[in-house]
Amino acid sequence: MDLFLQQLVNGLSLGALYALIAVGYTVVYGIVQLINFAHGEIFMVGAFGAYTTWMLMGAPASLSVGIALGVVLPAMLLGGIVTSVTVALLMERLAYRPLRSAPRLAPLISAIGISIALQEAVRLFYGRIPGFPDSRRAIPFPVIEGITGRTVQFGGLTIQYSALFTLGALAVCTVLLWWFVNKTRMGRAMQATSQDADTSRLMGINVDRAIATAFAVGAALAAVAGLAHGLRYNNIDPLMGFLSGLKAFTAAVLGGIGNINGAVVGGLTLGVVEAMATTFIPGQFGSSAWKDVWAFVLLILVLVFRPQGLLGAKVVDRA
Amino acid sequence: MTAHAHGASAHPAAGRETGAPASGLLQARDVTMQFGGLTAVNQVSLDIHRGEILGLIGPNGAGKTTFFNCLTGMYPPTSGSVLLDGQVLPPKPRKVAAAGVSRTFQNIRLFHNMTALENVMVARYCRTRTNALDAIFRLPRHRREEVETREVSQRWLEFVGLGHTTDLLSRNLPYGDQRRLEIARALALEPKLLLLDEPTAGMNPQETREAEELIQRIRGLDIAVLVIEHDMRFIFSLCDRVVCLVRGEVLVEGTPAEVQHDPRVIEAYIGGSVDLPNAAPAPEASLAHLQPSNPVLEMPPNAANPILGARRRRGDHDA
Amino acid sequence: MNRPAFLASFERFAAPGRLVALVGTALLLAAPMLPWAYRPALDDMTFWFAPSPLQWCGLALTVVLLACLVLGWVVRPQGRRSLGRRLNFNRGARAAAIALLAFVAVVLVASALELAGLVALEPGGWLALAGAMLAASGVLTLPRGEEPTLRTLRSPAWLQILGIVLALAFVLFVAAYGLDLDDPGAFFSFGVWAGVVVWVAAQVGLLGWLSTAAGQNRSVLVLSAFVVAFVFPFTQNGSDANMSIAAGVLIFAATAMGLNIVVGLAGLLDLGYIAFLGAGAFTAAVLSESAFATIGWSPPFPIVVLISGCVSALLGLLIGSPTLRVSGDYLAIVTLAFGEIFRISMNNLDGTDGPNLTRGSNGIPAIPNLDFFGFDFGSPHDIFGITIGRFANYYWLLLLVMGLIILVFTNLNRSRIGRGWVAIREDERAAEAMGVNTFGLKLLAFAGGAFLAGVAGSVKAHVDVSVTPDQYIFLESAFLVAGIVLGGMGTVGGVLVGATVLKLLPEKLRFFEDYRLLTFGLLLVVMMRFRPEGLMPDERRQLEFHDDDEELADEVADDVAAHRVGSVVEGTSAEPGSGATAKGDHR
Repeated sequence: MDLFLQQLVNGLSLGALYALIAVGYTVVYGIVQLINFAHGEIFMVGAFGAYTTWMLMGAPASLSVGIALGVVLPAMLLGGIVTSVTVALLMERLAYRPLRSAPRLAPLISAIGISIALQEAVRLFYGRIPGFPDSRRAIPFPVIEGITGRTVQFGGLTIQYSALFTLGALAVCTVLLWWFVNKTRMGRAMQATSQDADTSRLMGINVDRAIATAFAVGAALAAVAGLAHGLRYNNIDPLMGFLSGLKAFTAAVLGGIGNINGAVVGGLTLGVVEAMATTFIPGQFGSSAWKDVWAFVLLILVLVFRPQGLLGAKVVDRA
Repeated sequence: MTAHAHGASAHPAAGRETGAPASGLLQARDVTMQFGGLTAVNQVSLDIHRGEILGLIGPNGAGKTTFFNCLTGMYPPTSGSVLLDGQVLPPKPRKVAAAGVSRTFQNIRLFHNMTALENVMVARYCRTRTNALDAIFRLPRHRREEVETREVSQRWLEFVGLGHTTDLLSRNLPYGDQRRLEIARALALEPKLLLLDEPTAGMNPQETREAEELIQRIRGLDIAVLVIEHDMRFIFSLCDRVVCLVRGEVLVEGTPAEVQHDPRVIEAYIGGSVDLPNAAPAPEASLAHLQPSNPVLEMPPNAANPILGARRRRGDHDA
Repeated sequence: MNRPAFLASFERFAAPGRLVALVGTALLLAAPMLPWAYRPALDDMTFWFAPSPLQWCGLALTVVLLACLVLGWVVRPQGRRSLGRRLNFNRGARAAAIALLAFVAVVLVASALELAGLVALEPGGWLALAGAMLAASGVLTLPRGEEPTLRTLRSPAWLQILGIVLALAFVLFVAAYGLDLDDPGAFFSFGVWAGVVVWVAAQVGLLGWLSTAAGQNRSVLVLSAFVVAFVFPFTQNGSDANMSIAAGVLIFAATAMGLNIVVGLAGLLDLGYIAFLGAGAFTAAVLSESAFATIGWSPPFPIVVLISGCVSALLGLLIGSPTLRVSGDYLAIVTLAFGEIFRISMNNLDGTDGPNLTRGSNGIPAIPNLDFFGFDFGSPHDIFGITIGRFANYYWLLLLVMGLIILVFTNLNRSRIGRGWVAIREDERAAEAMGVNTFGLKLLAFAGGAFLAGVAGSVKAHVDVSVTPDQYIFLESAFLVAGIVLGGMGTVGGVLVGATVLKLLPEKLRFFEDYRLLTFGLLLVVMMRFRPEGLMPDERRQLEFHDDDEELADEVADDVAAHRVGSVVEGTSAEPGSGATAKGDHR
């Protein structure tokens, strides 16, 4: 039972990471019916943005907990968000917007191109900035006093502070996102655009801006995830966006793509399933080497039995 | 059974035998279609006889097109069934088409980057049997059917008066020709029943007369026709029987003369509360004087339809 | 093709411009006789009166420029009937001159980079540059006229066949000579030259004529293309290194061709296609006589090929049947996920994390060479005094596989099934309402494509000797998609061009290796933005990507008519030219 609870907690914190990224897929899909394949790379760029901020602050080490949590962490978060949002907006403007009326294949292929180009750009050039570490291998993520390496014991459970950070971030982001989508003008404009872009335009909504906002919102959450990823795994690398992006997409589909709550539920579910699979599948196939396989098998099963996802998706009948 | 086999007959499908007695061809039994809480079609029962032209009228949002979609398997009805020649039609468009019910669309849905001939040839798909191996190795069946498909399709093009457009891209055809091409495509399926969804929408009087003449010739091929139309003159001069659908229910069913002067129908169209200046039950007040309303205004609010309301394709609206 | 307005005013000076261009041409004719560089760089351009191969290339282009300049002057372009009068020589001259300038510049820059710098260039090089600049500035004054449309032009069959044969001879020359160039600069310059020749042909109008000719003489085209491909190994003087590259290109092209059925014809984006190739390769590997094979059964190779194909097709059915019902978008990601499942599984089936099937990341090495009726693919053979090495043997086998895939591709495309695919791409729901079995056709494309990949994979296992999971990663799938996108969706020629470019360039431009992926990613984005239909597009695909282009639609309509002429000539029935006349009468 303890093992079960422990894995549940592990799964939830992993799932929170997926959920933060998955929201980006879902928001963008909801508004332009585009699978932003490069979203995993936005997540990666966010992590590197946070790291860069830390480097620009002079790579501060062994600070007091107060400064680390009060100054350094927020600055890194902000840096990551700014980087991710900038890249996402550029991407939307240069690669996706011109293709909005093109056949479905065009933006998807374009997205693959962006994804590869971003990975490579970071891999090749990041390490060439004087004083920065070689980005062709994993870069150790900065130690944040008060989070890195700390755990809390709760009953028989061991919970890492980084896991708490991720879960907390997800909670805060979900609330903020709910407020933004439902209570602000721009949020309502986004909702209207996702219902019917043409009519929204006739009603005086700046559709381009609403779509760009969707990309920006997704990117901001991905940056939060990037930071959380760094804290959790203690390193980042240019290729980390690929697998995480794919998992997050799985989460989005699992919850029902286009549905923001669905992304959160789907992410958490996926994390728990992964954690449980490595524990409770007996024999060789239960080893951690197979956990990604189980996640993707889940994706296929969802599409077979409940293509609209757990919470229901927007109708998908375009081929 | 192909039209080619009856080369001697005047029309491509004239030789199709009609085994059953000239009575019930298609029966709709208590067809109900609900979208969430909205009942678009409510317990509609309808018989279509062989070789008759049946008109389906009703104010906007009466559920005419939804009923069409139920007949053709595009929406599986919530309850009720549709029988063709006593056989229950499976709710799959492809199987309905193969069984002998073909249709045109309210907003033209041609394959617009294909030539006119190719458009018609597509409809021969379920009347031919060439499989992948036949095609890859150019076996006799492929060659035979290919020649036959081409000839039959060309004859259908000529039947609707588009013999000269064979190699023109369908998107380059004038509007009226596109409507006729859609009919040729539907006829190439060798249907027993042809469903026409507003075949004269957007046409001028001359084209409307031509369409009327074409539908009479189609009836001459022993094909029953069910036609939705807002142009009352057209309906009442063409149809053998007319059914008026209001709010998803059959209001009146009868001969054109009966329906035309039925006060309930007039009320349904004009609205009970409005008194016309000369509202006497004279011929002037009959529906034949109602012209189709502005097509733009005919579009129902999308929100009324949760399936299509969420997201629209180009020109994809539905009543 | 909008030209800047100020260029129009230049046309007043067309006559002096042509003279200037002729002077430049004269310089360009003289320059190859002089040395261009101090020391051998790209190739040996240090001699007097002995042009190097690259200089010869430039010279050939100069002759084309001269011909265009003179003919453009002599021939009045108003004729509508004969071939000669409808070619647009002025456009050809412009293209040739501008391209020559680019070619000379590339050669000079590449030489300077390889040598000490600009000082290493001899007067001949500068003379060539001056000539090219003169010619280029001269041709800017020439009236461009309309883009030549020769597609409806009818010409005698012998001329068409001659044109096809000459074009293929050119292709053979480019392939044979280009593959033999080891110097990156020389290879790049030669590549530019070859591209320029094609461009000039397009500008003059020859390319349009050729494509019509090819459409009307399909059997001639197919036959001569295979002859050219068959002869190719003899041009390599038994160089196994070159043939190994050629075999690699063929495997890639064959796989891309299979994927083109899925993407180009059925319109389904499959991002895990490499897994089907891998499934075939692993199947062939474990069923081979390798000492490391994990299944103690090694049937004859033809049976292995079938089994490999079927294993892949089965996987295709497994993945396709749930996802093809849902949506095209999902399919892309699900196939991507499937590719990952495949890679991870192959890595894990190593005996510790799972049953031992693939020996994990080590893969299965030492796969023996094929042996058909005593013909050992591994050992060299002498034919006509030319040594045909291991890779040349496999090259021919791969040519067979390629032929099979092309056969499947073209014949399916031109059948009831192909029409169904087009209809699905255009409007899936309308297609379904017209009785087309949309799900079945999509599944056919998906599983059929997987089968062909499996077949190609089984051969690849033997060519590569060893099969490891890291050969079958997502990037390879992305490369395959890129090959199709670059060349042109839905065409045979496009895939061949795309595959060759994507596979050959990295082999030859090793110094560029680090930036290969970056360039490739950007290339995809740029292609989608500016030419989504690819370099050699299928006409219908081109229309789909340019939905609002009316001019293009008219042009394609013309073309359909032209091709109808072709099919009538090819077939037996009806009077020739009925398609064209029908169109002419009714427009």
